[in-house]
Amino acid sequence: MSRWEYFIKRLLLTVPVLFSVLTFLFIMLRTGPIDPVAARLGPQAGAADRQQLRERLGLNDPLWEQYVDFITDFITFNFGQSWVVQAERDILDIAVGAAPATLWLGFWAILLPLFIGIPLGFYAGLNPNTFGDYAASLGGIIWQALPNFWLCVIALAVLRRTREGGELLGINWYTLGPDFAARDISITGTPALEWFSTTDVLMLPMPYVSDWTALAIDIKLILPPALILGSASMAAELRIGRTAMLETVNSKFVETAKAKGLPSRVIVWKHIFRNAMIPLLPVITSEAFLLIGGSVIVEQIFNINGLGRIFFQSLTQGDLPMAGALLFLFTLIILGLNILQDFLYTVIDPRVGYDQ
Amino acid sequence: MAVEEESASGAAAADEARSDDPLIDVRNLQTAFFTDKETIRAVDGVDFQIDSGQTVGIVGESGSGKSVTARSLMGLIESPGRVLRGSSVRYRDLDAVREFAELFSKRTVAVEELAARYDPTEVFGATDATPAEFGHDDPADVPVVDVAAAGYTDEVGITDGDECVFVLDGDVDSPASIRDGFVEITRLSGEAQRKMRGGRIAMVFQDPLTSLNPVYTVGNQIEEALELHQGLSGKEATQEAAELLEAVGIPDARRRVNEYPHQFSGGMRQRAVIAMALACEPDMLICDEPTTALDVTIQAQILDLIAEIQESRDVAVMFITHDMGVIADVSDRVNVMYAGEVVESADVGPLFADPKHPYTNGLLDSIPGGQVGDKLSTIDGSVPTPNEPATHCRFAPRCPKAFDECESVHPVPTPVDEETDDHTAACLLYPDDVSTEEAVERHQEQDRRGDRQ
Repeated sequence: MSRWEYFIKRLLLTVPVLFSVLTFLFIMLRTGPIDPVAARLGPQAGAADRQQLRERLGLNDPLWEQYVDFITDFITFNFGQSWVVQAERDILDIAVGAAPATLWLGFWAILLPLFIGIPLGFYAGLNPNTFGDYAASLGGIIWQALPNFWLCVIALAVLRRTREGGELLGINWYTLGPDFAARDISITGTPALEWFSTTDVLMLPMPYVSDWTALAIDIKLILPPALILGSASMAAELRIGRTAMLETVNSKFVETAKAKGLPSRVIVWKHIFRNAMIPLLPVITSEAFLLIGGSVIVEQIFNINGLGRIFFQSLTQGDLPMAGALLFLFTLIILGLNILQDFLYTVIDPRVGYDQ
Repeated sequence: MAVEEESASGAAAADEARSDDPLIDVRNLQTAFFTDKETIRAVDGVDFQIDSGQTVGIVGESGSGKSVTARSLMGLIESPGRVLRGSSVRYRDLDAVREFAELFSKRTVAVEELAARYDPTEVFGATDATPAEFGHDDPADVPVVDVAAAGYTDEVGITDGDECVFVLDGDVDSPASIRDGFVEITRLSGEAQRKMRGGRIAMVFQDPLTSLNPVYTVGNQIEEALELHQGLSGKEATQEAAELLEAVGIPDARRRVNEYPHQFSGGMRQRAVIAMALACEPDMLICDEPTTALDVTIQAQILDLIAEIQESRDVAVMFITHDMGVIADVSDRVNVMYAGEVVESADVGPLFADPKHPYTNGLLDSIPGGQVGDKLSTIDGSVPTPNEPATHCRFAPRCPKAFDECESVHPVPTPVDEETDDHTAACLLYPDDVSTEEAVERHQEQDRRGDRQ
């Protein structure tokens, strides 16, 4: 089986996974403790109204028919309407409106650890048992040990104080970079994400950055929550990166490469780096899964109107179709990340799919 | 008296040297690893030569220092290990000396020039160098080149530690005129070291399953060496890589050049590693137990391949193994190592026909394959880890012939009898045509390393 046959096989395997998730969701929504009719009409509704609503929601149909309807609705992204959170609004509209903020947060929460954690880990692995190694490793462990919700609160408190003269290392967060104090913007909130426009290049719409200040504001807004959301991943990537590096540096093929007379720059970047990335790949993608769960807390505290916050609200307020639809979207994201991981594996490691 | 004899023969050897020098001349090589707990003297004063085109076997149990010797020659010793001062490994190929003198003119010195600045009493006074370790009694007799190659002149500022090409005869400024000289391998670093590794001395490692990078094609890894040392790239390099694979007996080389290591079998991988080592047309090939990880039929094929390569390309081979049968098969000359020292050195015929050192005897007796039902004889005990410079025979605790003096006198390599000069054993029993008392006395006098740290 070649590498790409293996990849296609993995791709096809996501289909049954998707159906299992949908079935599970269906069972949860139908057998859960919340009665959809009561949730929508409230306890005072009359029997006639309730009966009418049951009919309208299709709850009187045979179960298999409900199941087929549910599946077709979900895979065509026809999620229906929200019950409580933003009552009577189309769920897809709500999700599409909230997704960019979450994606923006997720993007930075993945990017920052990637470019801080991995280089630090590789540095520590290349210089084991030096002061730099100990500093990086210890910092990583402490950083990982701090819980997100606590970090969020502390970070907000510290950043807020910088305004009233309590400057941190001489930095006033409000006036650093784009001036929030002058513009009267809060340091928390939903990024507007209105800094790009599209232009037609060869008949295709190409996005480009039209407002650099707006971009800077959005980045500054998202940095603290992204750094906190990515803190655990950063520390994990640092530690796994260090181990992977150490292991690869001491492997035989590195000695062979040295014996060939290759300069150490080539040995590190060509022979060590790619091999050390192999064990790091699942860490990076699985950390990306965690961001979805973690973003609920961080979005809530940093007042970002994203998917995580809406998911949290729909769970606490019993908005079943909303929660189900979001779970389904999260599943899609996770499956997508899985496919991305398999793809990267296939590119990096030629042994993938080789069974003997 | 014995000392005088030795220095006289040493001087005679130096005169002859110009005509047929060995390719590699290892003198008093010492490599130690320094940890918090202890110092491990993995290689502790080893001397041997390898002529060009010759196969020299290094044999011994695990832990006797064979692989560390090989890695010292390749410059692959890494912290916490290092090659100690006093060691010298000379690479005497004239082409290489000229090439290095041309490329690294700042690191090239004329020995004459050094001699003008050199004051023996200063060097031997300020450093822990002893004339005895160079085989002389009087510091004034020690040639400056020996002292400089061993690194002692760095400490008194005659050399600055960077010189690695020593010119004995010829003009330093016009490399083509150099008629005699050597590259000192223990003093190589940076670019010069990389030029030597792979380009002049190539190495084949023990385990072919792990010595190829799993994520690049075999061809890519061979091309890398070709590009580095021969300046080939692109199609040319691929072409050459395929030819190399074909030369080492890989069928359908043109297709296999694009395959990954995991698509090769163990024997094929070792062939690929050998092809990689040959990529830069080295003068010497170090094979560190190249057949240990392979099954017996493949072993024979790889041994044949190495012999064939040696014949057709006229490379010197340093063959490391613990398998006496393999050594008998491939080598011209054999050095038997024990606990960091060469205990016996002889041509392969005499060594197997008439082994002198009790350790060699023990190794030969331990080869399986006698009569069915015979109990296989073994050497009791195991190789000690040398932590201190030797002041006694390290094999004595396991030696069936040990006597009292073995615990107090350190034996040095000595010709086994008065007539032979190319068969030496480091054992107090030799030379065997003098009485044991006299032999012990000679060893005592000649022990040149003494208690140096």
